[in-house]
Amino acid sequence: MALEIMILNSSLVQKQAVGEILKCNDFTLGFGLSLSPQDAIELVETRTSSLKRNGRIEFGGGIIEKIIKEFCDSPYISMHNYAETLHELIEIFYFYKNETLDLISDDELIKFMKNSFYGKCQGSLELLAGRELDKLARNLRFGYDPEYSEDDEFDEEDEDGEY
Amino acid sequence: MANIEKRHIINIKNLSGEFYFNAILHEAYACGLLSESDIENIQLQCISLLSYKCERYNMGESSSIKVETAESIMKSNLYTIGLYLKSLPDPDHAAAELKTVNVSELYERGRKIANTKLQAAKRFYDMVRENRIDTPNHSYNSTLSENGIGGFFKSYNLDYEAHDVPASIDYQLCNPVNDLAGVEFIQEYLENLYLENEFCKNFATENIHHLLYGYDEGYEDLLINIFEQVLTAALGCSLVNRNIRELYIAEEDIQRLYDTLGKNDNSSLMLRIDKATKDIYEELKITDPLIQRYIENSLPKIAANIEKALNLNTLNKVFVTSINPDLGPGIHFESSAKMDDEEYRRLIEELLSCRYSSDKLELIKEKVKSFDDLEDVLLDAWLEEEEFISLFNTLGDVEIAAMIKRHPFESDIQAVDLSEAEQALRLYLKNYVNGLPRNKREQILQIAKHLVMD
Repeated sequence: MALEIMILNSSLVQKQAVGEILKCNDFTLGFGLSLSPQDAIELVETRTSSLKRNGRIEFGGGIIEKIIKEFCDSPYISMHNYAETLHELIEIFYFYKNETLDLISDDELIKFMKNSFYGKCQGSLELLAGRELDKLARNLRFGYDPEYSEDDEFDEEDEDGEY
Repeated sequence: MANIEKRHIINIKNLSGEFYFNAILHEAYACGLLSESDIENIQLQCISLLSYKCERYNMGESSSIKVETAESIMKSNLYTIGLYLKSLPDPDHAAAELKTVNVSELYERGRKIANTKLQAAKRFYDMVRENRIDTPNHSYNSTLSENGIGGFFKSYNLDYEAHDVPASIDYQLCNPVNDLAGVEFIQEYLENLYLENEFCKNFATENIHHLLYGYDEGYEDLLINIFEQVLTAALGCSLVNRNIRELYIAEEDIQRLYDTLGKNDNSSLMLRIDKATKDIYEELKITDPLIQRYIENSLPKIAANIEKALNLNTLNKVFVTSINPDLGPGIHFESSAKMDDEEYRRLIEELLSCRYSSDKLELIKEKVKSFDDLEDVLLDAWLEEEEFISLFNTLGDVEIAAMIKRHPFESDIQAVDLSEAEQALRLYLKNYVNGLPRNKREQILQIAKHLVMD
């Protein structure tokens, strides 16, 4: 599609995005995390391919900086898995933007990802993508409360001794 | 001298009405009015307008958007700009505006025009509803209803889907609206429909009904254009010197039309039709140039139909003979007054307590004097099939026919909503009729066909 190619391949936009990511290093160095220019370029490429794969386009500053700033204080992230985790988080983010039918804002989704990653998933990206976000997307699509869980209902029934 | 037109660099004929902005960009570039850098600049401005609109669409809550949504917003933006460019005196002027004025400014100007057009379309919708034809045609009525074009004004989104037509429009115009989209399409459609209605208003509702009934008995469900049928019939009446307002052409007139029109070649046929059209204007006192132009635009299509029919010997399918459905042979059936409720209740109680069929039949014969009461008894007295048959035997052909008319047998699936007693009555009645000798059965069915229940 012409529109997509025109926007995504704009090198100016790419350069600007790399610059913005590198600026985040000032903030993340306090947590012992930093990205090289090559890492930043790769992250922007992941964003581009992920957007394309999920049939979305993005204007201006993306969500990479927001993800970096939210997740940099995580006890589950250190220098050796920092860039790799960011790649995964970007992929997961755009996938679930579609799955939640855009019913949730960027900030809310990132916050939910952070809380689940730190809490229930204990640093597992697999659990985050395969269980927690899947549940969230289902709840939003069916109009339930985002925190609603069928498992909780079963737990309650177990306590009553009915099952 | 008045006919001399100014020559433009951009050929108007090459411009699409639906995608005006893209077309003008393409043509202006091809004619050298816009350079490559101009085009690039316009494209970049379009992207930044899109970015601004997408942010508004997401209400600042999301930085990314689905490609389909962005595409739709982009189309809507370009459509709106196109509306402004169309309002300029000529395409060369539009190309110059594109070069000098910022795209978002062009968009704002187009947005104002779109708003005005929407208000105008609403006014036209009201006008069309006021001068609508009284017809049972379903596609006509549903298109004009709140669920048809009415839905457009409820769900049309000028900001993000200005190029879309969110309405269910089934009714086909004689001169269809092509090459337009969004509010422009609706406005043009309603204008054309208004003109069609104005013309049809010159004829009595019954005359139009009889004409369309002559075209097809089930015209209520057909996707036909009423104006085209009426205009064709009016032309036919004019060609055979009949009263135009009555829209009635007899079969012998059609033979005369074969004789007179068959000799003509295409151009002389057109001349005759033109002459007939002038007669229509005179007879119906049509002076509005808009209606006249609309009729003239419809003539080539009608002339082509006539020419084709002359060659195929099917002129009676183009010039239809009106039929009045109420003039067919009819038997009026009227039931006498029902008995008093209290008396009826006593009768049913008595019938239910009766042991022998012969007693029941005697009782019914004695007490029931009205057809409506008999019908009620059949439904309420829980009679056996043999009792039904014996009762039917006492009735005349017309009464049986009336019974068939009121209780036609339907398949089991169609009968699911009926009560048990009603189902039984219909089944026994069908069995009874099937058991009759062939001649008698046909006679009864014939009566039922012409029966008119009061």
